[in-house]
Amino acid sequence: MSSMKNLKYSEILKINAELGNTANSNSYNISVLSNVTMNQIKEILEYALRKKKINANVKIGDYDNIVQDSLKYKDSSLVFVFWEICNLIDGLQYKIELFNDNDLNGLFEKAKSEIDLVFKNLPNTSLVIFNKFSSLTFSNSNIRKNNLDRLADKLNQYLEKRIPENVRLVDLEKVIAIVGVENSLDLRYYYSSKALYTVDFFKAYAEYVKPFIMSANGKAKKALIFDCDNTLWKGILGEDGFDNIEMSPKTKDGAIFYEIQNIAISLNKQGILLGLCSKNNPADVDEVINSHPDMQLRNEHITVNKSNWSNKVANLKEITHELNIGLDSLVFVDDSSFEVNLIREQLPEITVLQVPERLYNYPKILRENMGLFYNLSFTAEDRKKIKMYKQQVKRESVKKEFTDIDDYLASLELKMTIHQDDKSIIPRMSQMSQKTNQFNLTTKRYTEGDIKSFITNEKSAIFALSVSDKFGDSGITGLCVLNFDSINKTADIDTFLMSCRIIGRNIEYAFMDYLMNYLNQNKIEKVTSKYVKTLKNEQVKGFYDKCSFSLEKSNNKMKEYTLIIENYKSKNIKYIDINYGK
Amino acid sequence: MENKIKKVMSAVFDMPVEEINNESSPDTIESWDSLKHMNLVVALEEEFEIEFTLEQIIEMVNYSLIKIIINNLIEI
Repeated sequence: MSSMKNLKYSEILKINAELGNTANSNSYNISVLSNVTMNQIKEILEYALRKKKINANVKIGDYDNIVQDSLKYKDSSLVFVFWEICNLIDGLQYKIELFNDNDLNGLFEKAKSEIDLVFKNLPNTSLVIFNKFSSLTFSNSNIRKNNLDRLADKLNQYLEKRIPENVRLVDLEKVIAIVGVENSLDLRYYYSSKALYTVDFFKAYAEYVKPFIMSANGKAKKALIFDCDNTLWKGILGEDGFDNIEMSPKTKDGAIFYEIQNIAISLNKQGILLGLCSKNNPADVDEVINSHPDMQLRNEHITVNKSNWSNKVANLKEITHELNIGLDSLVFVDDSSFEVNLIREQLPEITVLQVPERLYNYPKILRENMGLFYNLSFTAEDRKKIKMYKQQVKRESVKKEFTDIDDYLASLELKMTIHQDDKSIIPRMSQMSQKTNQFNLTTKRYTEGDIKSFITNEKSAIFALSVSDKFGDSGITGLCVLNFDSINKTADIDTFLMSCRIIGRNIEYAFMDYLMNYLNQNKIEKVTSKYVKTLKNEQVKGFYDKCSFSLEKSNNKMKEYTLIIENYKSKNIKYIDINYGK
Repeated sequence: MENKIKKVMSAVFDMPVEEINNESSPDTIESWDSLKHMNLVVALEEEFEIEFTLEQIIEMVNYSLIKIIINNLIEI
């Protein structure tokens, strides 16, 4: 799957330079801190991310300066810590076997305190990717555990215990396994320049960590859509019939489709939405979902089902519309080359996987692409979300019966609960800032560490809201960050966002009413705000205008507003009941 | 072969192919430091499917020398 694997290093350098020159998005700053020389990771990592439209700029820290650099580069969006165990002290790979217990303990304590310092220096960095220690590079062929192995084990246990919210650990040995120890290392420079790894290793590493960075940039996939015939089961339902399609673990090919369906269910449990898009009689597919004894995917797993005779381009577009997500949030799986090519050509934003001719590779391909769905934070909300999208589909059908939208909204029995500076929902608040693209005025991405500092800082406040109606509870689905300047009696709206699944209910206006009232009670007289344009937030470009803010400055990237709170015109929405969380 | 070397050097040092000549060396190319030298070695090895010895790596400090060393390796 890796597109880089077949590219020469010089080609990567060349294309990367071109991508850098033509990039028009904001720079995503990455620093790499290491105690070995690894300058080649720079362009390889930049290339891997720029190809995904993340305008990465990588800076390599000074050689063996991890602790000092962790201060120097704390403002990067992402910091890598690449701590090579054999260079904790020069020549450790042979010295350590001669160490006595005292020496060993001293070394362990030194490494521990350095790790603590690095974590301490990077509390507000959005994301820190920290490699676990590995002794593999210098001891992959010894049979007995040696001191280097034991030290790596102990340090890794320590890391697992101490890891802060903004740090993710990478299992370096898995990356080495992808290319093999032999191909990962180039010892020619180790003794002169302390360079250790090969270009092949860096390519594999960049691919391995890409899902973290995609997720931090709000680019994780959200839904997996399957064709049915020869994709979820073997055979063609319309021709072979209900009794002759295969997906039983007891038959050779059936076992493969059985595994596919179970992989899909495991993704669904992690919050990934599942859907069907197939050319079939809808009633036939429903019958399989409802009553085929071997079918694993049931109605409870399938959020959206487009089994009909329309073309798949139209169906997939409708799916994104119904789920209220972007085309680039979809992964689609089909066995037919015709359909696969059609979608790749017509809807290039969708990631399309084709069922391979060698069917036994099918589960492997799906597994290799799991990284597309990776999410930095995984919360109870994810599990709830699936239920809620289903309720949304139900709501859409209720909507049709009402002519006046206010009547409809009133019939929903909407309740909004406000949570101010609530520590118990930090992961969810961070996740929302990272994943919300459409109803997001400034699209600032915040880690759990960032959110924490809004809570503790007196000059800011963070508000989250949850919404419920007679069909169910949406969970935490809106967020606002306010910064205050109490001397000048002003405030700034740093972040205002809502999950798209609660849009269309005027919740945003009720929320704004609440916030303005809050500011007024806290003696704030003037508030400023911004709309920062992205590819996805077109729908909110007029939001502050509608909230009676006055436009101060405007260009094609940004609109800046102010509002004298006295002049705020409340929307006074009667049908939303407001409660206060703790 | 000469074109291939120039192409690689142009990618590594991020400069136009036309500006690389027999005299090109760390003295004439500003970005040619020891780290970029490492990148150059890796890129050339990949391009010509060869492996330099440590001595050769130290010797190849200008375009003419690189040409001679690669020539020797390919002919063997």
